[in-house]
Amino acid sequence: MAKTPPKTDKYRDLTRSTQSSAPSIQHPLAGKKMTGAEMIVQVLADEGVTTIFGYSGGAILPTYDAVFCFNEDRAKKGEPQMPLIVPANEQGAGFMAAGYARASGRVGVAVVTSGPGATNTVTPIRDSMADSIPMVVICGQVPRSAIGSDAFQEAPVSSIMGSVAKHVFLVTDPEKLEATVRTAFEIARTGRPGPVVVDVPKDVQNWQGEFKGTGTLPMPGYRKRLESLTTDIIDGTEANHFFEMLGESQRPLIYAGGGVVNGNAAEELREFARAFDIPVVTTLMGIGAVDTTDKLSMRMLGMHGAAFANYAVDDCDFLIAIGARFDDRVAGTPARFAPNAKAIAHFDIDRAEINKVKRVQWSHVGELPEALRMLTAHGKRMGFQRDRSKWLEYLDEMRSKYAFNYDRASEQIQPYYVLEEINRVTKGEAIIATGVGQHQMWSAQYFDFKKPRLWLTSGSMGTMGFGLPAAIGAQFANPDKLVIDIDGDASVRMNIGEMETATTYNLPIKLVVLNNNGDGMVKQWQKLFHKGRLSASEKTLHTKDFIKAAQADGYKYAVRLDKKADVPRVIAEFLAFKGAAFLEVIIDPDAGVYPMVGPGQPYEAMITGDWIPSRKKVDVKPPGASEMF
Amino acid sequence: MRHIIAIHLQNEAGALTRVTGLFSTRGYNIESLSVAATDDPLVSRVTLVTKGADGVILQIVNQLNKLIDVVAVEDLTRGEHIERELVVLKLRIEPQLVDSVRGYVVRAGGRVLEPSPDGFVVELTASEAEVNQFVSDLGGRTDIVEVVRSGALAVGRNARALHVVR
Repeated sequence: MAKTPPKTDKYRDLTRSTQSSAPSIQHPLAGKKMTGAEMIVQVLADEGVTTIFGYSGGAILPTYDAVFCFNEDRAKKGEPQMPLIVPANEQGAGFMAAGYARASGRVGVAVVTSGPGATNTVTPIRDSMADSIPMVVICGQVPRSAIGSDAFQEAPVSSIMGSVAKHVFLVTDPEKLEATVRTAFEIARTGRPGPVVVDVPKDVQNWQGEFKGTGTLPMPGYRKRLESLTTDIIDGTEANHFFEMLGESQRPLIYAGGGVVNGNAAEELREFARAFDIPVVTTLMGIGAVDTTDKLSMRMLGMHGAAFANYAVDDCDFLIAIGARFDDRVAGTPARFAPNAKAIAHFDIDRAEINKVKRVQWSHVGELPEALRMLTAHGKRMGFQRDRSKWLEYLDEMRSKYAFNYDRASEQIQPYYVLEEINRVTKGEAIIATGVGQHQMWSAQYFDFKKPRLWLTSGSMGTMGFGLPAAIGAQFANPDKLVIDIDGDASVRMNIGEMETATTYNLPIKLVVLNNNGDGMVKQWQKLFHKGRLSASEKTLHTKDFIKAAQADGYKYAVRLDKKADVPRVIAEFLAFKGAAFLEVIIDPDAGVYPMVGPGQPYEAMITGDWIPSRKKVDVKPPGASEMF
Repeated sequence: MRHIIAIHLQNEAGALTRVTGLFSTRGYNIESLSVAATDDPLVSRVTLVTKGADGVILQIVNQLNKLIDVVAVEDLTRGEHIERELVVLKLRIEPQLVDSVRGYVVRAGGRVLEPSPDGFVVELTASEAEVNQFVSDLGGRTDIVEVVRSGALAVGRNARALHVVR
């Protein structure tokens, strides 16, 4: 496929900076003298940023001052401002930016100071990298003359972030600052999205120069590869081959991942699935790619996926992976994943994901919406049709036979019941953020999601404390939407400072803490695999009164729910409350997450628990030492 | 299998760190690494020798292609190529052996850069296998004080410049 470049293009023309999309229209501020800090703020505004998240400090003061002046000027002109939202900790700022990005599809922005400010964002940056979330983080840095001297609040940001971000820039030439910030946005949102860090020494922020209003840095290799993502089309032969495989299949299944959501391909996926009657399972990150209430939706697969979803994967004879990467939470044993699939097709934007974990027979690397549109059109043109009624009826039966279930007669409040009741009100329309652990998996299992970008969760990194700041960011991106954070007592503690951020900014966020006195998921593993030794996961002796904490943070609604009979009434009033509301639910501390596919186990060894039937009797075996994660 | 991977890298701060960081993060080995400017001051050429099964090498190439500063990557071992390595050795030799060592070096295609018996410095540019043989032969004849190797450099045996392998 590779072409020999012409001789004159030996290094793909590195010397020429590219112009932005509309070079003919001059930026109204082009030619104006500005400080570096003012240029940063102007580029943020030009990129359509509506909210900045960040915490101040010495090395970022010039930029914070520029944000202040920018907003003051906008206020005078009666134009929309770019509010700077201050968290309790920079990790909060990073996750707010990530929540903003996940819920809106736009690039999230955090601006923090040097040293600890920057290092506190490492976790959200790695989290966003692992989940392919577009974000730009601007860090103050000590002045250029002090770099490398172990100066006050100095940290080697470019080395640290180089290992966790999609890209990092250290701006040493102030003349390149403007183009660098603009380029950071381009990198964050293009290809496989991800976080980009721009480290800006304080003297570069204070430098004065001429604002150009256009121009990006040369990235010949990256841009060339991006270009191929849009120009490499599925040709007729490849499309025919795909439909041959689909035609030979009796039991095809789509396995859709986060790439469908991040690549804005949900509509095209739905159209493709409908056009050829192919049922869909999604990964944790792919939730919302199809409407979970749709008749073709087989909900989530994987370690804690629906039993019927996992059985569908076991039974399918043609698996179509779309924007999914056979992660270990999905394909714990790649060799035994989809064991009856005679063929696997894989669509992804990232070539490195093809054949990385599981060998596939057909693949396409490129933008998903275009690829799915082309394939759908091709199939329709060739009049492709197969009667899938037998397979779909079979899946319908499985869906009811192996449905999620729990002890409905229990005296204690079961977490599933609480989520079902919330879902009855929200009907798949609300934005749901979560922490990490049991409550996260229950939310994935019991909530409906009619659209993409309603489900905000830390999938790959599994970062406890994600939920609350992500919900705050999402609320800023969608001021009129109902945003609920379903959290655990342990997860919410991780960024509990952000409880106050929600009330400070008067956000109508609904915060639910499912309290089971500890790290429920850890306890579940300890019960299954460590003979019940609850090492460091029990919090019954902790003294925190969440209600008093919420009241202290200004929540006008702060209620503890501990009687099952009160659940529907309290949930109704909680969700209807105007303004930030806090609900602590004392749940059955022994409630587990089922189904569960043990680490390194195939789906047929799935443990379904006491309330979901299993196709096969399964002995619980502790995982091998190398599979202990 | 041993593979030689050639990379054109934008000459940006931290670019090389991102290449080597990728290898350590993803658990790949670097057997040798050589970096220097090209005739374009904005581009460096990296020659990297690594070992791995075909799938691993393909992953390495694919992951390298995701780095923003990478302009082009090619696994040169996939095609015909020329490989060269420079070795500079400092030897300590008995004065009576000087002539025979000099004779060996010249026969092997090397050169004597510094003839002093206390610090006898020789060089050879050859393939990795020849360099290994050269070092081992001289080790058998004299005391080797220092071994300085450049790591492999390689270029494809064809008319075109490095391109992105797909």
